Amino acid sequence: MNLVDLYRLMRNAHIQAQSIVDTIPEPLLVLDDSLRVEAVSRSFYDTFQVSEEETVGRPIYELGNGQWDIPDLRHLLEEVAARSTAVVDFEVDHDFPTIGRRTMLISAHRLFQPDRSSRSMLVSIVDASKSRQREAESELLVGELRHRIKNLLAMIQALAQQTMTEGRSAEQYRDDFLGRFRSLAAAQDLAFGGEGETGLRSLVEQTIQPFAGKGKVVVEPGPAVELARTQIVPLSLILHELATNALKYGALSAPEGRVQIGWRMERDSAPRLRVHWQEHDGPPVTPPATTGFGTRLIEFAVSRELGGRVELDYLPSGLTVEILLPIP
Amino acid sequence: MAKTILIVEDEFLIAMDLEMILRRHGWLILGPVATVVEALRLLQADQPSVAILDVTLKDGVVSPVAEALQDLDVPFIVSSAYRQPEAIGGEVLAGATNVGKPVDEYRLLAALEDVARP
Repeated sequence: MNLVDLYRLMRNAHIQAQSIVDTIPEPLLVLDDSLRVEAVSRSFYDTFQVSEEETVGRPIYELGNGQWDIPDLRHLLEEVAARSTAVVDFEVDHDFPTIGRRTMLISAHRLFQPDRSSRSMLVSIVDASKSRQREAESELLVGELRHRIKNLLAMIQALAQQTMTEGRSAEQYRDDFLGRFRSLAAAQDLAFGGEGETGLRSLVEQTIQPFAGKGKVVVEPGPAVELARTQIVPLSLILHELATNALKYGALSAPEGRVQIGWRMERDSAPRLRVHWQEHDGPPVTPPATTGFGTRLIEFAVSRELGGRVELDYLPSGLTVEILLPIP
Repeated sequence: MAKTILIVEDEFLIAMDLEMILRRHGWLILGPVATVVEALRLLQADQPSVAILDVTLKDGVVSPVAEALQDLDVPFIVSSAYRQPEAIGGEVLAGATNVGKPVDEYRLLAALEDVARP
């Protein structure tokens, strides 16, 4: 082999090595023992938007008007240069003039070269800004989820606490509580199930479905009304209370009894939704002597949660309820 | 004389629950209210002996209410599912007892006992 062949061989090997290095997406630098740049990979130029002329042969701290003169980094590299240590994924938060604020993970290793005692080191830089941002976002999401779960638990506790125990057997209490629990669970599913908007009709049908045997509950035709997410849970619970009440004491407790549910939009100054609930052919109606949780819930939810008004009329022919709600 | 408590809570089932528990223990109730605006409006007319605050309300964080209470020298406790309410609501909540959520009745009553002036 003559010198020209040897030169070609070495040159080809060098070009091949360089092209391999240039495919690595993370910027790489080789520094000599005075921390001067001996070589860099192509992605270093691309990432930091600098040219070869302003990079190779210069001390790393002077690159790009001193943008690499970072105290943490200086400390790290001097440590590696002085001893035969390596540093892996050292995190540097820095505001780079050309590319902005970044979180970089920097690793530095002494290069092993058997023929001479080189003090060169290979520095690799991984831009972790995006993954850090994703981590922060998912942490926030988990925090929100935890918050929502605790809130939901508090709501369930509130239902358990307020479901009447006086004069009820353990079994009756359990059924009352579980009825409310299921209606809350179904309402949560409607509100946060992520299946697009919820219409009043589907909410009414879902809520009364457990009570709707043999055509005893009639949902009258009415205009399509899209509900805001915040209206779904209170409205579901209100309808559930009316339905359980009808089943226990009202029209749904009698063989001939029926319930009619309907609604219409009213436009005086602002649009309002009027929902009516009408019981027929039930047992004789007398107003309850005390205000139970069901009635409290209906009144509280309508007036404070939905910003509307409700009237409960214990007519001899059957309970009549009118709910008037603002529509956002 | 019975003591008055302002309840600021935007989840209506929880607000009803607090109202019932506290009423049963002899408190007069101001509210419950679910928004900063309503809470501030109530505070213009009435001065409660103490307040219980949720952190995130329908119209934003509760901090303006906490600041108004501080100005009125009304002590308050927090009932929040957030472990660090001050991270959401700011410094004004930092010193307040957080009875958490779901709230334990005994813990709630003890915390109120603690902050309410004799």
